[in-house]
Amino acid sequence: MARYILSRLALAAVMALLSTLVIFLIANTVPGDPVLSQLGDLAASNKEFVAEWRAKWGLDRPLWERYAVFLRRLIFDGDLGLSIASQRPVLRDIADFAPATIELASIAFLLSLAVGIPLGVMAAIRRDSWIDHLARAVSLVGVSAPTFWLAFIMLAVFYGGLQIAPGPGRIDMIALPPKAVTGLFLIDTLIAGDWAAFRDALAHLVLPSIVLAAATIGLITRTTRASMLESLSQDFVRVAHAKGLKEGRIIIGHVLPNALIPVVTLGGLAYANLLTGAVMTETIFSWPGLGRYTFRSAVALDFPAIMGITLVVAVTYLIINLLVDISYALLDPRVLR
Amino acid sequence: MTDLPASRLNRRQVAQLLGAGGASLALGLPEHVMAQAKKSTLVIGIDISDTITLDPARLAQYTSPMTVSAAYDSLVTMKPGQYINVAPSLATKWARTPDGKGWRFTLREGVKFSTGNAMTAEDVKWSFDRVINLGDQPSQYIAHVEKVEIVDAATVDIIMSKPAEPLLSIIAAPEFVVMERKVAEAQGASAAKDSKTADKATTWLNSNSCGTGAYRIAAWERNQQIQLVRNEHYWGGKPPFERIVIRHISDGAAQMLAIKRGDIDAAFNLIPEQLASLKSEASVRLAPLSSLDFVYMALTQEPEFNKALAIKEARQAIGYAIDYDGIKNSMLGGAAMRPAHFLPIGVSGSTQEIAATIGFKQDLAKSKELLAKAGLPNGFEFEIIYGAAAVQGVTYQDLALKIQSDLGRVGIKANLRPLDQVNLRTEFTTGKAKGGVLTFWNPPAVENQLWAAAVVQRVAKRVHWNPPEAVVNLVSQAATEVDQAKQAALWVEWQKQVVDAAHHFILFQPVYQIAVRNTVKDFPLTAAGWMLDLHGVTPS
Repeated sequence: MARYILSRLALAAVMALLSTLVIFLIANTVPGDPVLSQLGDLAASNKEFVAEWRAKWGLDRPLWERYAVFLRRLIFDGDLGLSIASQRPVLRDIADFAPATIELASIAFLLSLAVGIPLGVMAAIRRDSWIDHLARAVSLVGVSAPTFWLAFIMLAVFYGGLQIAPGPGRIDMIALPPKAVTGLFLIDTLIAGDWAAFRDALAHLVLPSIVLAAATIGLITRTTRASMLESLSQDFVRVAHAKGLKEGRIIIGHVLPNALIPVVTLGGLAYANLLTGAVMTETIFSWPGLGRYTFRSAVALDFPAIMGITLVVAVTYLIINLLVDISYALLDPRVLR
Repeated sequence: MTDLPASRLNRRQVAQLLGAGGASLALGLPEHVMAQAKKSTLVIGIDISDTITLDPARLAQYTSPMTVSAAYDSLVTMKPGQYINVAPSLATKWARTPDGKGWRFTLREGVKFSTGNAMTAEDVKWSFDRVINLGDQPSQYIAHVEKVEIVDAATVDIIMSKPAEPLLSIIAAPEFVVMERKVAEAQGASAAKDSKTADKATTWLNSNSCGTGAYRIAAWERNQQIQLVRNEHYWGGKPPFERIVIRHISDGAAQMLAIKRGDIDAAFNLIPEQLASLKSEASVRLAPLSSLDFVYMALTQEPEFNKALAIKEARQAIGYAIDYDGIKNSMLGGAAMRPAHFLPIGVSGSTQEIAATIGFKQDLAKSKELLAKAGLPNGFEFEIIYGAAAVQGVTYQDLALKIQSDLGRVGIKANLRPLDQVNLRTEFTTGKAKGGVLTFWNPPAVENQLWAAAVVQRVAKRVHWNPPEAVVNLVSQAATEVDQAKQAALWVEWQKQVVDAAHHFILFQPVYQIAVRNTVKDFPLTAAGWMLDLHGVTPS
C-alpha cells in the first residue's frame, strides 16, 4: 500500500509539472501583449518604459528560458514568482484567495453529499414513488439551471425579497474579517471566540453553497440512484432476504457500501470541480476566491499567476484522484488483491 | 424489489437536513448592533477588483483614486463641475516663480497629518521626489518637472524643464499628493535617486496611509473591502463619518438588492435596467456622475489595409452616417454627452454647444454625397473590431451592431469582429487594426494637452495618420496660451481640424448614474478622476 501511494505521488508530481508546461505554451501562443493589460496608454507607448517593464517581469527573455526560470524557482525555492497583475507573490495571492474557495466548496460538497446520497438511496428503494420523482426533479433543475441565473434568483428571493438571508460577500457589509489564522472564516471566528461573527460567516455561506451545490447534488443523486438499483438486483441481496435480514440492515449494511463505489469516484471529481470552477458563483456573491482570481489572471495574461493556478488545480485533481483510489482499496478489498 | 420500506434512519436524516438548512438562513448579527454601527459608517458598493495598489505614486487604475483622494490631499484640487481652473487645497496661493521657470506654492498653515504632526515644506518636496524617482506610471505625467525646491518653511517651487507646459491641472490628481515623510520612511519608503529599487513602502501603503486627508486607510482586504477611518486631525473640520467602507460587490444586480435593503449607501455599477427598477424606491435617488471618459471609434487610413478608408471623404461619410442621437437616447437612456473630439465636454474649448456645431452629426444625404465624391457611390466594406466589455451597461457588441446597421443605410458594409480586450488593444496600439476600432478613453488627469497630444502623436500612429505640422503645433500653442478665452478658441480650432481629418468618431461621453440612499445628504460626485469627493459626503 505504502509503495503504491509513493509511486502514485511521484507520478502526480511529474503530471503537475507537465500540466504547467502545457499551459505555459498555450498561454504564450495568445497574440495579446501583457504589457497592454497592465500599463496605461501613455506608459504603454513609451518604449523605454515598456522595455524596462518587460525586463522587470522577465518578458524580454526567450520562452524556454522563462519556463526554466519558473521551474528552477519552483523546485529550489518553492516559489511561484510575482503576479504581474497584483504585483505581489503568486503564492501570497493564492494563500489569500484559496481559503474563501475552500470554505465555500467544502460546505457545498458536504451539502451535496448530505442531500444527494439519501435522496438517491430513497429514490432507488422507492422507485417511481413521489420521492423518486422529487429526486429526478431536483437533479434536473440542479444540473440544468445556469449558475448565474440560480445565483441571482436565490439572492433576489432570500436576500432582496424575503430578507432572511445576508447579502453578497463573506461577512456583514461593515464588519472586518476575523484575524486570519486559517483564512477559513468559520474556523477563524471560532478561534477568536466570536460567536456572532461565526453565525454571520455561516449565514453568508448558505446561499452561495446551495447555488454551488445545486449541480453536484443532481449528479450525486442520479449516480447514487442508478448504482443502488444495480446493487439491489444482485444475488447477495436475495441471499440476505432469504436469510431473513431486516430491510434496513440489508440497505445500510449490504447494498449501500457496494453502491457507493461509483459515487466516491464521482464525488471526488465533483469536489475538485467545486474547488476550481466557481467563477460565476464567486462573481455574483462577490466571493473573494480563486475562481475570480483565475479568471482575471487569464484575461490579463498574467503568466506567473496562470502558472501558479494551473499548478494548484493540477495538484488538487491529482490529490483527490489519489484519495479516491485509496478509498477504493478501503471500500473494496478486491482492488488490492 | 422496488417498493421496499425506507429505513427510519434515512427519513430522520433527511428531516434533520432540511431543518438545519432552514434554520441557518435566519442567522445574522443582532439588529440593534448593526443599526448603531451603520449610523456613523458610510458604505459604498462598487466593483474594486481593479485595485492593485493604494500607493499614490504607483496609481494607474480606475477605482483606486477615490480611496487615495480621501486619505491624501494634493497642493491644488478640482471642485466638482469645475474642470478648467484648479482650487486651493494644501496650497492656498500659487503664482509663477520670479524667473518664470516654474510655479511657486504657498502652503496652508496649520495642516496636520493623520498622526497629528504638522505638514512641512520638506514633506511636499519629498513626496514629489518620490513620485519622480520611483519612475512608475504617474511619473510620466510630470516628466516636465525638473525639481522641487524649498524656498522657506511655507513656500515650495516646482521647477520645470518646459516651463510653458501645463502643470496645475495635472498635479491636482491623487497621484501627486503629500505624504508624511517620517512615517513613510519608517515603512521603507525612499525618495532618493535609487528609490526604484530601494523603496519598500508599497506593501505598507496598500493597507495604511500617511496623508492629510479627511480619512485614513485602515485596511484593504483584496476583492472584499477597503476601510477608512476618520482623521481626527483633518484641517478641513471634523469629518462626519467615523468609518467609510468601500465594499467590493462585483455584480450590479447584487448592488441593486443591497441598496434597496439599505445595506449600502451608494451603488456605483448599476446598468440602465437596474437603475430603472430603482425609480420607484422612495429611499433611493439617482445622482449623475459625469465623467471625462468617452467611447469612440478609431479609423485607419492605411491603404494597404483598406483602399477606401485611405480616402478622407470615405471616412467622413462614415462620420455622417452614424446615428449618434440614437446611441445616446435609445441605448443609454439619454445619460450621456458627446464631445466633438478628444476634448470631453467640460474642459477648455469643449461644451455641448460647441460640439453640436463642429462635431459630426447624422446626415445621410451628405454622407452619400461624400461617398460619391470619394468615387465610391455604391459604398465599400471595412472591418470593425471591438472588445468583450461594456460601458454603462452598453456592450461594444451592441454598439457595433448599431453602427453596422446605420452604415448599411448609405451602402457601407461593416464586418464585425469581436476580440478580447487585451488582444484588441494589442492590434490597435501596434497599428495592426485593419479598419475601425471601438474603444474607450479614460484620462488620468484633467489636462487637455494630455489628450490632444495623444491624438496627434501616438493615437495618430495607430491609424497611420501623419498629421500636418499645423495641427501638431496648434496643440502646444493652445496648451501654453495663458489667456483662457484665447485658449478655448484655439482648442475649438484644433477640434475642427481633427474632426475634418475623420480618424476618430466620438460616440458618447457617459454620465454614469449612481444610486444613493437618502440617508446620505451631500454626495459630491466628480469627473476629475476620483469619482467622489469622499471628504465632502455627509449624512442626512
